[in-house]
Amino acid sequence: MNAIEAHNLGKCYTRKGLGAPTLFGALTGSFRSKNEPFWCLRNATFEIPKGRTIGVIGPNGSGKSSLLGLTAGTITPTEGTITTTGRVCSLLELGAGFHPDLTGRENVFLNAALLGIPREDVKKKFDKIVDFAELREFIDMPVKHYSSGMYVRLGFAVAVEVEPDILLIDEVLAVGDIGFQLKCLDRIRDFQKRGKTLLFVSHALQTVEEFCHEAFLIHHGQLVERGDPGDVIMKFIRSYMGEGGGLFTQEFGTRKIEFGDVRLLNTAGEETVNFETGGSLTVEIPYTAHERVEKPVFGFSLKTGNGMYVYGSNTQIEKHDIPFVEGEGTIKLDLGPVRLMHGNYFLSLAVHSWDHAEQFHRREDWWPFAVRNPTGALGMFQLDSSWS
Amino acid sequence: MLSSMNLFSTIWHRRELLWNLTSRELKQRYKGSALGFLWSILTPLFMAAIYVVFLRLLARGVPMEDILIGVFAWQFTTQCVMGGMNCVTGSANLVKKVAFPREILPISQVAANGIGYLLSLLVQFPALALLLWHSGSHFSSAWPMFLFWMVWQTMFNLGLAMFTGAANVYFRDTQHLVGVGLSAWFFMSPVMYNMEFARNLASKWPWAVHLLYANPMAVIINGYRAALLPGADPGFPPAAWVGFAIVPLFLIFGTWMYRRLQKNFADLL
Repeated sequence: MNAIEAHNLGKCYTRKGLGAPTLFGALTGSFRSKNEPFWCLRNATFEIPKGRTIGVIGPNGSGKSSLLGLTAGTITPTEGTITTTGRVCSLLELGAGFHPDLTGRENVFLNAALLGIPREDVKKKFDKIVDFAELREFIDMPVKHYSSGMYVRLGFAVAVEVEPDILLIDEVLAVGDIGFQLKCLDRIRDFQKRGKTLLFVSHALQTVEEFCHEAFLIHHGQLVERGDPGDVIMKFIRSYMGEGGGLFTQEFGTRKIEFGDVRLLNTAGEETVNFETGGSLTVEIPYTAHERVEKPVFGFSLKTGNGMYVYGSNTQIEKHDIPFVEGEGTIKLDLGPVRLMHGNYFLSLAVHSWDHAEQFHRREDWWPFAVRNPTGALGMFQLDSSWS
Repeated sequence: MLSSMNLFSTIWHRRELLWNLTSRELKQRYKGSALGFLWSILTPLFMAAIYVVFLRLLARGVPMEDILIGVFAWQFTTQCVMGGMNCVTGSANLVKKVAFPREILPISQVAANGIGYLLSLLVQFPALALLLWHSGSHFSSAWPMFLFWMVWQTMFNLGLAMFTGAANVYFRDTQHLVGVGLSAWFFMSPVMYNMEFARNLASKWPWAVHLLYANPMAVIINGYRAALLPGADPGFPPAAWVGFAIVPLFLIFGTWMYRRLQKNFADLL
């Protein structure tokens, strides 16, 4: 059974915007130039079976949030249809229904009523909601005196305790302190186990890869790709990152030395972007030195899909002295057995002078690659752990 | 008629939400002011006092009972119009983020004001009884008709709240127009005067009095007065049927318009 079905779904705005129009504007509108339509989502046809977790990724402004709004029913499609089966609850409006003058208790009931949950059910779950939000002693205080964290916690607690069939999540997992975040993630895993459907918008690619059965890639309002999260994320990184995405590639330098076609090789010596934890990763770096350069330094760095700096080093640090380069040549970077765990990474390369004064060529976040971990161990890095 | 029937089923299915929003509205209205709910009684009482003094100064006699009834009824309608106008724009956050039947917003406004009106009757009725007793009279035996007119006014107010609420999302000019419109309408409705006063004033233009009867607010306020006051018989000429019929028609029109426009609310806010 499908939880969400969309057929030829589209949402159109006009470029001038529809906000705060005036009667004067409407009366004179016909004399002005035509409003250019802007489709923030178009031709989206998909079905999501019950029990799946779908990650939606794409550059900023690609239409991800519109898709969630359409699914939630807060915005009306301009064309096409979207149907949902069961109760939809979105975490994009944490505390949106809250009224500042009302107490936490009153707001829980108001918020639940907005979601269409009978009062009796809320009464039964009230204690669980309060416990989950950790707000026992503040529940009879007006929410205007709540901290922002308390506000969001109460909103999250209501949303997850009312047993939605479809849960929409929009970058809200960064709520509260780390303890509460872990609790939220636990609760989301729990939802998955109980066969709920989740639609999950995030820029945290690592999180999407970790949580989702499938990923949708949206670009310029089109659903361009769907499938295995790892593959879709890779496609996203290779094709669209840099268009206002979370990270952006850049290139600079005086180009006295220039990188050629860099190749990433796996254990078998094949060129690929998919590697395995424990396998080898070798980077073959062809270069062209347009003039003789004394003592150049080659360097590299690695970042995760979420932008975290993992490791960086260079030939100077590693005492691999290169007396000079001239003309074409190749240098090999061997990353040894890959210690990285499951996820997406970016490789940056640079070549500069011995005293770091002149940057010849630098490519930041230029080469994305993915690592799969077959061992089943968890975490970010593989350590040489052993038991005795 | 179909859209109105729909409306009642929406109200029934989401009655818990309606009650929540209504009580929220009532709570927030009176929280933080020292006299709280008393204001919704004190304001019309003060207004009534001002009109009485003002009319005495002009040496025009309008019975105090008539003014009292008119002022309370008028306050009910203006509150619904003003509240209804801001009910969507004021809940922008809610409308943009949560899916629920949008009709609940103006309905809860009217419900909250209706409750306020009912409670204000607790003061209005004893005050009227006192005034009537003072002049050696008592409530008219037609008083149950008061309930009918209350239903009629509530329907009219709901139509107005839907209309202004939806219009204000599309055109923010609405709030200015409504302000001016309410002032003009106030003088065109028998709030601080009665029909006898109007007939005397407009003795040279009898058609103007007919126009006055076609005003739904005139029909409703006259209805209230005829129901409660034994001496008052403002009459019900053919023109009054127009004002009477406008009430359900406007409710249907307001609901229809609100439903048509509500699909773009989230985009426009």
